[in-house]
Amino acid sequence: MVVVRTQPTSSRTAPLSETTVIGWLHKNLFSTVLNAVLTLICLYIIYVVVKGLWIWGVADAVWVAKDRRECFDISIDGACWAGVIQWIDNIFYGRYPRTELWRVNLGGLLLVLWMAPLWLPRVRAKIFIGLSTVFLYPFLAGYLFAGGDKSLFMQVMVTLAMVCLAGNTAHAIIGVSSGRGLPDTLLRWLGKDQAPEATQRNTLLVLLAAALAVGYALQTGWTEEVVPWSKWGGMFLTLVISGIGIATALPGGIILALGRRSKMPVIRVMSTAFIELFRSVPLITVLFMATTMFPLFMPEGFVLNKLVQVIIAVSLFSACYMAETVRAGLQAIPRGQYEAAHTIGLGYWGMMGLIVMPQALKHMIPNIVGSFIGLLKDTTLVSIIGLFDILGMLRSVSQDVPWRGLHKEPLLFGAVVFFVVCSVMSKYSRHLEVKLSAGAKR
Amino acid sequence: MTSTDTQDTPGQLASAASTEVIIQLNKVNKWYGAFHALKDIDLVVHKGERIVVCGPSGSGKSTLIRCINRLEEHQEGDIVVDGILLDKNLKHIDHIRREVGMVFQSFNLFPHLTVLENLTLGPIWTRKTPKAEAQEAAMKYLTRVKIPEQANKYPGQLSGGQQQRVAIARSLCMNPKIMLFDEPTSALDPEMIKEVLDVMIELADTGMTMIVVSHEMGFAKTVADRVIFMDEGDIVEQNEPFEFFNNPQHPRTKLFLSQILQH
Repeated sequence: MVVVRTQPTSSRTAPLSETTVIGWLHKNLFSTVLNAVLTLICLYIIYVVVKGLWIWGVADAVWVAKDRRECFDISIDGACWAGVIQWIDNIFYGRYPRTELWRVNLGGLLLVLWMAPLWLPRVRAKIFIGLSTVFLYPFLAGYLFAGGDKSLFMQVMVTLAMVCLAGNTAHAIIGVSSGRGLPDTLLRWLGKDQAPEATQRNTLLVLLAAALAVGYALQTGWTEEVVPWSKWGGMFLTLVISGIGIATALPGGIILALGRRSKMPVIRVMSTAFIELFRSVPLITVLFMATTMFPLFMPEGFVLNKLVQVIIAVSLFSACYMAETVRAGLQAIPRGQYEAAHTIGLGYWGMMGLIVMPQALKHMIPNIVGSFIGLLKDTTLVSIIGLFDILGMLRSVSQDVPWRGLHKEPLLFGAVVFFVVCSVMSKYSRHLEVKLSAGAKR
Repeated sequence: MTSTDTQDTPGQLASAASTEVIIQLNKVNKWYGAFHALKDIDLVVHKGERIVVCGPSGSGKSTLIRCINRLEEHQEGDIVVDGILLDKNLKHIDHIRREVGMVFQSFNLFPHLTVLENLTLGPIWTRKTPKAEAQEAAMKYLTRVKIPEQANKYPGQLSGGQQQRVAIARSLCMNPKIMLFDEPTSALDPEMIKEVLDVMIELADTGMTMIVVSHEMGFAKTVADRVIFMDEGDIVEQNEPFEFFNNPQHPRTKLFLSQILQH
């Protein structure tokens, strides 16, 4: 017996329960009596908590007062935000001289300026922009924050960074307006875009040399007053430590992970030992080792400042954790990808850089951002070894005579600051995930 | 014309092939741990020759061709490809890999790159071809495998047959002298096998040296100059296709053919 369908069945509209809000409510919140009761209980709990917070934190709160006593006089039950508001500069900048705060703000602004092209469409060579952010920006910002006399090395790095920043910005503007790169445009202006490759390269080198000379001249005329690191503090210090930690963690982690998977036994054993050593020790121990033990092993008269030691310790620690994240990502890449890379003639670095890492990093984004968030929060441990980061500052509010005993408000404020920063990071990671997987989606 | 012994010169059988030797294997042995996967393999492949390798699973077919471009390392014996001895010297390995294209059972396209980028990556990075030129060549090969319109899609958006054709085009972009196919149609739906085989037959017509591990007996009959039958790491029998299928000599070959031709 043969059955043949002559006409294809046409699609019909979905039932209302699939498309309307009422349908959604019914399906997800009130599907059974028990679910309906649970929903109502949860709504009640949310109502109680939000109402209590609102009355304490906003309705009955005191925003302006000269000390805690006055807060109590105005409202005994409300929050005393006046203390936090008076301390806000300390919380964000620590004891950085108040007249020099513009330097910290400018540093932040430069970072935004430097990295903005990464998010702009039509800008090319984004990898270079990203790398220069990691390797050059810290020197420019470092001098801006610390000031003082520049050593020869710092002079060179600051020059490079200034030229790079100017080049980046010009490149980004040109890229957005015309979709071309900076070198192309320069050659076009000079009418050399049709010249042989060697001439083009030489022209560009001459221009680069000229830019470096100008940059060098500019930076010799630029000196800032010294701000010793012991005056750095608050959110600023937290961001400096965790920022450098984050920036070095990924490259360091990639190198360690590749080392651990290397076929060369010496490199593999050393990488593994290094990773396991740091991973098996709590961060606070690493910090104590770095600040108190490490100087004992160093030759007489060898003085590193505490901040540098802490930054090195945090960087190594986070690189080791990152290495394991990267290794997990590498293991998710099927062997066929390596083989295919071999068969089109790519060597080890070409295979890793062009085929394996781009795919692995994409898988790893949630974990990478997770460790960045963890690192940002772990950085508050430095308050234990005597650096006044944001947590140190928040806790000092209660030691200040007019505000003695004011614990809740500053810590809550700190929690909000951390929540904002961390949730922005994780939201961005979700966005990246979606964006990067868009191409590979079926 | 029959040979149950590898000493026989296969050159007499290869009608389309020249007498120039392009691959030579001398007493090649390969172990996976204690398992002896290839046993004293001798094989001479001439330029332009088309060879189909078949045999039961685990017989060493894939291992054999994967040794030729050093995806697997053999422990004993010599492999000479395009006049270069395959040894530990990375330069030799790189040179051989550039001359030998390979198509895998599971395609192994790079999922994070578009079809066009998959095709141009090799030429741009290993042959230092200018980008525009590489793209032009890539489009030429995509046209040859009949999917130029898919150039800007990602591999995940293509069907299996299309992916395999892209993989063939990717290998061809490197202008290889030899193409190795490791069960190129085994992971495909029946409807897609034909489109891939058609591309391979066209490629054979251009005079490319091809070694194909496959159970597509129809393909072997039409295209191959020689069929090699392997079992337990040995080349048990090799012959021209007509004789191989109609007059198998070795009992293992007879058994194998009777089993796969039953259906």
